[in-house]
Amino acid sequence: MSRKKKVRKVKYRDIELNIMPFIDVFSLLNTFLLMSAVFLSIGILEVQIPFLTSAPPEKKEESRSLEIKVDMEKAKIEVTAAYNKPPINEQKREFKVDKADMANLHKFLLELRRSNPETDKVQFFTEDDVVWKDIAMVLDAVKVRAPNDPVIVPAGASELDKRLAAEFLYPKVVMASVMLR
Amino acid sequence: MAGVSTDSGESLSLNLMPMLDIFSILITFLLMSYSTDPVSYDVNNGVELPESMTVSTLDEMPTIKVTKTDVIINDKKVASIVAGDVEEAARSQGAVFPVFQELQKLAEATKKVIGGRLSEADKARLSTLTMEMDQGHNFKLMKRIMLAAQQAEYITFKLMVARQGD
Repeated sequence: MSRKKKVRKVKYRDIELNIMPFIDVFSLLNTFLLMSAVFLSIGILEVQIPFLTSAPPEKKEESRSLEIKVDMEKAKIEVTAAYNKPPINEQKREFKVDKADMANLHKFLLELRRSNPETDKVQFFTEDDVVWKDIAMVLDAVKVRAPNDPVIVPAGASELDKRLAAEFLYPKVVMASVMLR
Repeated sequence: MAGVSTDSGESLSLNLMPMLDIFSILITFLLMSYSTDPVSYDVNNGVELPESMTVSTLDEMPTIKVTKTDVIINDKKVASIVAGDVEEAARSQGAVFPVFQELQKLAEATKKVIGGRLSEADKARLSTLTMEMDQGHNFKLMKRIMLAAQQAEYITFKLMVARQGD
C-alpha cells in the first residue's frame, strides 16, 4: 500500500481591507483642520505716542546720547541723527519710499545702532497724507531686526532689554507727529 | 475597495484610493499651515492689513478696528469714515470725540475690574491698545484716533499687520 502524501491545497481568498473607518477619520480630521486653519498670520508693530504729564521733570543729569529722527513724507524719508550735547556731529540721509531703498535705510540705522548701542529709541514723524501701508513698510525697516543683523545688547542691559534686542533693532518707536497739528 | 451588486449579479466597485490620496495631501497641507499663535483671529472683512516682517504675534483681540467705512470699538460702531476721514461732526480738537468717549469708558471699566493698587505691568497693560486698520488709510486718520486714545490715557499701540513669509 503506497502511502499517499496528503497535499494541502492552499485556498486563496480575496481579503479586502475595510478602509471605510479610515476615510471617516480622515473626513473628520479634515473638517476640524479646515475650521481651525489660519491662512493669514497676524503680527503686531508696537509704537508709542508722546503724552503730556503734570509731574515735575526728573532732576537727572542727561548724558551725551544720540537722538534719531525719521521724517517720512509721501515719497521720501529723511533720517537725522545728532547728539544732544556738543559736539553734535549731525548726520543726515535721505531715502526713497520704495522697497529697494528700505534695505539702505535699515543698513544706515543698523550702523547707527552699532556705534551707539545705548540708543534704542527713534522719533518717527509722518506727514498726514502718507498711507498706513507705507508707514508699516518704513516701521519694518526702522524697528524690526533682520535675520542676518547682529544682536546689539547695550552694556548692563536687563533681561527684558536682551529679549527686545533679539527681536528689534530699535524697540522704542515714538510716533512724535501725533502731537503736532 | 467598496462595492455594490447590481440586479444582474454584477459586482461594481468604487476605487477609493485616489480619494484617500487627496485626503492625505490635504491633511498634510492643513497640518503644515496649522497656527499655534496664542490668539487666533479672523481679520474684519472690510480691512486689508499691510505686510510686515515682524516676528511679534498678536496677543490680544483688537479693541479698535478701522475698516474702509467705519471706526469700531469692541464691536460697536462709533464713527463713520467718509472720503478717508471721519465725518466732521465726530471731530473735536483734531481727535475723534466718540473714540475718546468710548475708550474713556473702557479704561474706567478696566480700572474697576483690576481695582486697588496697580502694578507697573497693570499700568502698561491699561495704557495699551491693539488696533486693526485698513492699509489704505492715511496717517491723518490714524493720528486722529491716536490723539483721541491719548486723551483717554492710552499711549502704546499694537498695530496689526499681516506677517510676511507665513
